[in-house]
Amino acid sequence: MKKFEKISCLLVLLFGVVGFVHAQISLDITKKAGNGGTPIVIAPFSGGAPEDIAGIIAADLQRTGKFALQPPNAQSDYSVVGQASPGGSRGYIVQFQLNDARGGSLLNLSFDIPANQLRPVAHRISDLIYEKLTGEKGLAGTRIAFIAGGGGVWYLVVTDADGQNPQVILRSSQPIMSPAWSPDGSSLAYVSFEGRRPQIIVQDVYSGARRVVSAAPGINGAPTWAPNGRRLAFTLSKDGNPEIYALDLATQAPVRLTSNGAIDTEPVWLPDGGLVFTSDRGGSPQLYRIGPGGGAAQRLTFEGDYNARPAVSPDGRYLAMMHRRGGRFYIAVLDLQTRQFRVLTSGGTDESPSFAPNGKMIIYSDGQRLAAVSVDGSIRQDLALRGRARDPAWAPYGR
Amino acid sequence: MQNSIRILMAAASIALLASCASTGENTDPAAQDVTQSEATAQPGQEAYSYPYGQAPGNYDSYDTASGAYGSYPSGSQPEYGQSGQPGSGQPGQYGQAPASLGGGSMVSADRIVYFDFDSADIQPESQTIIESNANYLRGNPRIITQLEGHTDERGSREYNIALGERRANAVRQVMSAMGVSPRQIRVVSYGEERPAASGSSEQSYALNRRVEIVY
Repeated sequence: MKKFEKISCLLVLLFGVVGFVHAQISLDITKKAGNGGTPIVIAPFSGGAPEDIAGIIAADLQRTGKFALQPPNAQSDYSVVGQASPGGSRGYIVQFQLNDARGGSLLNLSFDIPANQLRPVAHRISDLIYEKLTGEKGLAGTRIAFIAGGGGVWYLVVTDADGQNPQVILRSSQPIMSPAWSPDGSSLAYVSFEGRRPQIIVQDVYSGARRVVSAAPGINGAPTWAPNGRRLAFTLSKDGNPEIYALDLATQAPVRLTSNGAIDTEPVWLPDGGLVFTSDRGGSPQLYRIGPGGGAAQRLTFEGDYNARPAVSPDGRYLAMMHRRGGRFYIAVLDLQTRQFRVLTSGGTDESPSFAPNGKMIIYSDGQRLAAVSVDGSIRQDLALRGRARDPAWAPYGR
Repeated sequence: MQNSIRILMAAASIALLASCASTGENTDPAAQDVTQSEATAQPGQEAYSYPYGQAPGNYDSYDTASGAYGSYPSGSQPEYGQSGQPGSGQPGQYGQAPASLGGGSMVSADRIVYFDFDSADIQPESQTIIESNANYLRGNPRIITQLEGHTDERGSREYNIALGERRANAVRQVMSAMGVSPRQIRVVSYGEERPAASGSSEQSYALNRRVEIVY
């Protein structure tokens, strides 16, 4: 009996400690998108178009985590009615109205489109509704690039933000890594091991035209675009160990920005022209910042024992990163204004964060699948893709 | 005619996939590794512009429900060899290896150097492996080896590329100290992209933290 008490005491102690550690982290753990949002009814669209316009709008709004979809005919703050019928000069006329509870019309628009634009128009309507009711720009019409496959065949894929309409941009029997969108959304820079050595390639996603922008001896890695779209930063090890370089795409002359015996990699540009990158110069991988021309590096992260793969929010205020503590990897975000550090995910093998163009969501991979979490941690989405998906990059709004 | 070309291309791609799974030699590897679909659609032609424009069928399809990627769309051919170069800097002549490869794609155990977690330090038990390969290279000055650095799957992919290179460079330094000419050694890091063992166990991780000495 005594013995049993002792053991149970020990157990309580053990679980107590574990519980405490867990609680520390779970303070910031996120909830699934629930039913707590603004009530809205999306009535089925009449007219017999070959796409379920209302269903696409409903799924888009549901995914934002800010709306609670109500059954048709229910009393609701807002309602959407519309139709999509054959006609117009291109094939279909899509018309919709967003009404408030008193029957007042907030939006009333129509589109004259070909049949293959029905789905994009549904996303456009979702974004119009979202922006009208939240004041934020929507994401339904955006795209995501990621790397699929692995273990023999690699794919660079671009899908719509809902995971639909996938396009294979490149397929290779050698690894593809680190896709990065140009600021106008027309091109992807990425690393390809075709020829069994890493190269940085820029590819126009519309024409398919591609060119090698770096094939130096050693590592050619982690490309990222300057906000003006005219320069790339990336990692080269041609001078002996991985350093950050900036390349003017017009002159093709790479300029070295770091000089250090340690690993410097994963650069991302800040709006002011400075760069944040991963370096293990302090012993473990941490994030550092340099000015537009390089110079002395300032360490930015001190939490946990591993912070890497930075992503910068479009307004430059937040840094998202991979964060390790207790042997598990999380997505975390650092507010560069307040220095507040927040862990956003429940952890495991979370990696490769990328900001949505409205700055509100961060997409990442858990090592197998893609998920997204809001910067404040309140909303969580899983992307409905089958198969392994890694290295997501959320496209900008573009041209 | 069109059909026979298509069949030929399909056969070629299967053969390529098979050959690329091995660590053998390719004469013009870059041109063969990559395929991309023809994308002719241009955006902005309609009053309502949408990125992929009017011809979604011009791209490969990816079946999100099954997880299987579709084949090339009918009417268009996979394109090989339009990737930019790199004709220069060929890996040189790969010679016969010091130990048998068994004809497969696996690198035999006497050509793999293993590492501790997050470390690029050469273990004492790896000295023999490095030494026998260094002896072989010294005796065959025309043979070139490729040291391929790898990591386990934990951590950032790009950081792991750097860590894999650090490991390969550590093996290179030991070989150089043993008198191997720098011209006989090339280094490439695959980071976590090419694991030797699948799975997320400590045992798999240990097998994946390695440098392969490839001839």
